[in-house]
Amino acid sequence: MIGPHVIILFTLIPLLAGTLNVALHRWRGAQRVVGTAALAANLALAMAALFTVYRGADEAGGVLVSQMGNWPAPYGITVAVDALSAVMLAVTAAVSFGVYLYALSQLSDRFEGGYFHATYLFLVLGVNWAFVTGDLFNLFVAFEIMLMSSYVLMSAGTTALQMRQTYKYVLLNLFSSMLLVTACGLLYGHLGTLNMAEITHLSMSGQIPARALPAIALLLIVFGSKTAAFPLWYWLPDTYPTMPPAIGGLFAGLLTKVGVYTMMRTFIMMFGADAAVRELVQPIILVSAGGTMFLGVLGAVSSHNVRRILAIHVISQVGYMVLGVGLATELALAATVLYMVQHMIVKSTLFLCCGLIERYAGTDELERLGGLLKRDAWLAALFFIAALSLAGLPPLSGFFGKLLLLVESLRMRGVIGYTLATLAVVTSLLTLLSMLKIWSFAFWSPAPAGVERSPRPLRRGVGLIVIGAMVLLALSVGLGADYYMKVARVAARGVLDPRSYVSAVLGPVVTAPAPEALADAGGEAQP
Amino acid sequence: MSLLLAITVGVAFAISMYLLTGRELKGIAMGVFLLGHGANLAIIAVSRSPVGRTPPILGPHGLIRGTEADPLPQALILTAIVIGFAVQAFLLSLLVLTWRRTRSLQIDTLRDAVQDEYDQTSHERSLVECTPIHPDQREDLA
Repeated sequence: MIGPHVIILFTLIPLLAGTLNVALHRWRGAQRVVGTAALAANLALAMAALFTVYRGADEAGGVLVSQMGNWPAPYGITVAVDALSAVMLAVTAAVSFGVYLYALSQLSDRFEGGYFHATYLFLVLGVNWAFVTGDLFNLFVAFEIMLMSSYVLMSAGTTALQMRQTYKYVLLNLFSSMLLVTACGLLYGHLGTLNMAEITHLSMSGQIPARALPAIALLLIVFGSKTAAFPLWYWLPDTYPTMPPAIGGLFAGLLTKVGVYTMMRTFIMMFGADAAVRELVQPIILVSAGGTMFLGVLGAVSSHNVRRILAIHVISQVGYMVLGVGLATELALAATVLYMVQHMIVKSTLFLCCGLIERYAGTDELERLGGLLKRDAWLAALFFIAALSLAGLPPLSGFFGKLLLLVESLRMRGVIGYTLATLAVVTSLLTLLSMLKIWSFAFWSPAPAGVERSPRPLRRGVGLIVIGAMVLLALSVGLGADYYMKVARVAARGVLDPRSYVSAVLGPVVTAPAPEALADAGGEAQP
Repeated sequence: MSLLLAITVGVAFAISMYLLTGRELKGIAMGVFLLGHGANLAIIAVSRSPVGRTPPILGPHGLIRGTEADPLPQALILTAIVIGFAVQAFLLSLLVLTWRRTRSLQIDTLRDAVQDEYDQTSHERSLVECTPIHPDQREDLA
């Protein structure tokens, strides 16, 4: 159990450790120690926060709130951790810790020689900040820190290919960041506040003016593009494959999920109670979810190298989460959280596997891979489990999230509901297909000339241990889905019925009645 | 005044869109900078009257209810400007790197450079450059 003010450490630990690493940038050993210690501390803190929030969920202690400088809520800067934030923080901490250890063993000296360690910690700082912040403008600042670190990590390799893709990534992300600032400004003009809890309060008491709708639509565009949702995903497929797999694993695991988180925070918690916003936003999100799932997986099926398949799969998987946000029932949101947890772990794991595959063959092009089943049975087994988890075969981790989302979209009925359910099933099948494509080309087929005698990757053992630990974590999500689901339901209830969040941040205010979606037991009907 | 600001914001956004769609990297960078300024101006333009609220400034007798401008948007803009500086510094250093590498700041030249890279050193090289190289493989690559 931790006190509420401890949560500021989520930003302080990576900030201080990152700054220290800038000073230490000539001493690699020291940087590694600082980085590992900071990420381990972050993991311990995140687990403690999750435990505290989950334990306190039934009472008043379910939301940890700290007001910076003790300024009262709408005026000061609010830092708040509710169940959703705590879940995201915990998974982020686990994934970033694992990927970091892997990166230490696999990155080239040249790549690690620069400011890699500091930048990595700053990226974690940005992601953590996005999860703990209690107002929209700080969310923008968090996004900027996260993206700035990701620009630096992306452009660290100086091949012309990477440089060209860096421009694409940087410019498109800068553009949506500018839209986010504009949207923040417009919203402030209309609502007079950017504090999430206060906006939630305004929308629950029906005080969102109709003229604020364009600004809210602008937010949808921004978060949609951060999430890489259809049709705003254009920045992702070309950029992720140019990065070293260790970095790619971190990006694929964390960044787009921050987008999904902000979508839940904004459109479910903040504006969910406002009928006009819901009518505007929900159909767009649902259509976008369908497109994201299906078109994303088509891109993956038609690709022929491992990195690209994995990168485009990020888009298709994000579609399921966006679907959950669009359905917006308690069960669908809980399924989204569960799916997000497993996706962050599994997707990073697959990228790390890809790193080892490349080390054997010197390439990630499927035609030139092969014979890895004989060369490295451990890698093959771990990849197989992770790939099937991603595809969602029972009882592996992806299954339960997908099943619940399917059930919820069938419950929605109507053309849209049935179409979405069909798309979800087809997407799932095609995911399996493209994962098996990697499996059969890289592992099962006979090795092409030259690959049989290629040396084993350096420090393969460390890589395999990290991958193994992450696969175990993913397995626990599948086999212990019941426990994870309990936490996910608390998180979903927290955003769907944000009264406890609002009163934790703003103090006792006049609370509106529970939103309709919760009132009809289990969220059966759609508003 | 509001109208003037609104028109300025519109013009700034329009010019930056035009620059962003160009084929010249310097112009694109300028477009990004201008977009930032446009966004900041937009915040000023809409923040003049946060509807029905007084700015949160405490005077000796509680909240000041005068004609003071709301300080919060200005704090937002200051933060946004600082972040904008960082972004500009990064983008400009990326431009310098690109110039050193390709001796040009045209997007098309960069594309040709990518093509050359594919042809001359093969895709594997750029992959391998980012991962540690096994001692046995070092000679093969050299």
